[in-house]
Amino acid sequence: MKCTDSLLERLDPRSKIISFLAIIFCMISTPITRLKDFGLYFLVILTMAFVSRIKPAQLFKRGVVLIPFVLFIAMFVPFLKEGHVLWSVKIYAWTFSVTYEGVWTFLNIVVKSSLSILLIVIASSTTTFSDFLKGLDLLRIPQLLIMLMSFMYRYIFVLLDEAKRLMRARSLRYFGHRYKEQFRVIGYMIGVLFIRTFERAERVYSAMIIRGFSGKTISVNYLKLSRLDFLFMAGTFISLICIVSGLIYKIEHSKISDTHLWHGL
Amino acid sequence: MARAIKVLNLTYRYPDGTIGLNDVGFEVKEGETMVIIGANGTGKSTLFMNLMGILEGDGYIEILGSKLNNMNLKNIRREMGMIFQNPDDQLFCTTVMDDVSFGPINLGWGKNEVIAASQKALAMVGLEDYETRTSHHLSFGEKKRAAIATVLSMNPKILLLDEPTSGLDPRSASKFINILYTLKSQGKTLLIVTHDIFLAQEIADRVLVFSEDKHPVAVGNYKDILNNYDLLLKNNLIHEHRHRHADVVHEHEHQHGHSHKH
Ligand SMILES: Nc1ncnc2c1ncn2[C@@H]1O[C@H](COP(=O)(O)OP(=O)(O)O)[C@@H](O)[C@H]1O
Ligand SMILES: [Mg+2]
Repeated sequence: MKCTDSLLERLDPRSKIISFLAIIFCMISTPITRLKDFGLYFLVILTMAFVSRIKPAQLFKRGVVLIPFVLFIAMFVPFLKEGHVLWSVKIYAWTFSVTYEGVWTFLNIVVKSSLSILLIVIASSTTTFSDFLKGLDLLRIPQLLIMLMSFMYRYIFVLLDEAKRLMRARSLRYFGHRYKEQFRVIGYMIGVLFIRTFERAERVYSAMIIRGFSGKTISVNYLKLSRLDFLFMAGTFISLICIVSGLIYKIEHSKISDTHLWHGL
Repeated sequence: MARAIKVLNLTYRYPDGTIGLNDVGFEVKEGETMVIIGANGTGKSTLFMNLMGILEGDGYIEILGSKLNNMNLKNIRREMGMIFQNPDDQLFCTTVMDDVSFGPINLGWGKNEVIAASQKALAMVGLEDYETRTSHHLSFGEKKRAAIATVLSMNPKILLLDEPTSGLDPRSASKFINILYTLKSQGKTLLIVTHDIFLAQEIADRVLVFSEDKHPVAVGNYKDILNNYDLLLKNNLIHEHRHRHADVVHEHEHQHGHSHKH
């Protein structure tokens, strides 16, 4: 956890969750053809990165880890989507053609998900996971879901460690023979891992009921919405409204002929 | 002195038929530190699970004057806490503070009370600045101490500790033993399971020995039990002392102050 006191770190997780979800919602409901809008969203995101003191380089470096996955999925879309052919290539008997609609769909996926990824990077570098879960809890997200996420976060590394130990035990005694046999061994290892996890779950559950667990987790609530939170949410929502309603274009346009300002609006 | 725990004719069999406990009976007085020693697989952890009401065997268990049953299980768990052998089982929340406050919150205490109790418990184990730390990033020794804090925050009268020093390096172990001393001086009843004779020597008032057929074979003052080499050797708690003098390997009983010809 970093201890700089940037604006976004001081905010309540609830206001961040609400604002970021609102931005994502607006982005995905904007048609991709309004490319200028996405430029504006990008500006909003950069502003947030700026106030949370994340350097653009840092932001992109972290985002770049995830973006290849999106690209990989989106890569085939231009070829698969049917429509007006933009460009085609012939390899032996197959013709691959890129369609106009395909390109737009590709852009749709890539632009929207990249921007969302940048937002997630900002959110995750300004919020600890436990604060995030507390925020979700206070926003009335079902507790079961929150507990699942919390346990996943808590035990994924324990589980990975256990798997690593099993793998090491195997590789120390594996000398590259009997290739087929190895599948049986790997299946066996998965079974062992499952049983160990199951037994651990039993012990953890005992530890919970010993301390009075009765099906509901409650934690001490330190969180408090401050004026800063309301300002931040208000700021986000006003920017979103401006972008979605196209107000900015109208203002820009009416500057050119400022006598018609009122007509512009 | 009043009786904290009384167990009579307790037998437990695991669903797969393995015997976990075989006709166990003993008593612990309030404020006493009882160390249970026994080799691996002699049913020590199984006993704790039975005392906490997680497993249900045949027999009689009495905690602080009332018979353990489903009706008063909750009340008994307020007064008696258990620290698991593996701290990863005990620390299941995302931050140390969440873990330590889990018990008090479930007891229905008010927010300020919960925070005060949790901070006091963390201070007792020397983890004052660890409130927002993530449990899985702690060292093993810190995890062990955090685990005991999760129980101390509920301020129980009786504490059950399952192999508290296993896996700790010497310095962490002595830190942990200091915590146990403090608890002892506060008048808590401690029931400690271990196969670490040194821990027993340091802290026990009385010692109970479990044999490999999951049955207690001896109980008594710590000096009497820990000086009974035959008993300890027979129950796999010490090994015959082996050491080398140049090329000769000697094997003899583990005896302090004992001398032999080389
Ligand atoms: N979940 C289980 N199912 C079946 N047998 C078990 C289980 N847990 C422990 N046992 C068996 O019960 C006996 C006592 O185990 P345990 O109480 O864990 O011993 P200790 O804590 O003294 O090392 C052992 O023989 C062990 O194999
Ligand atoms: Mg055990």
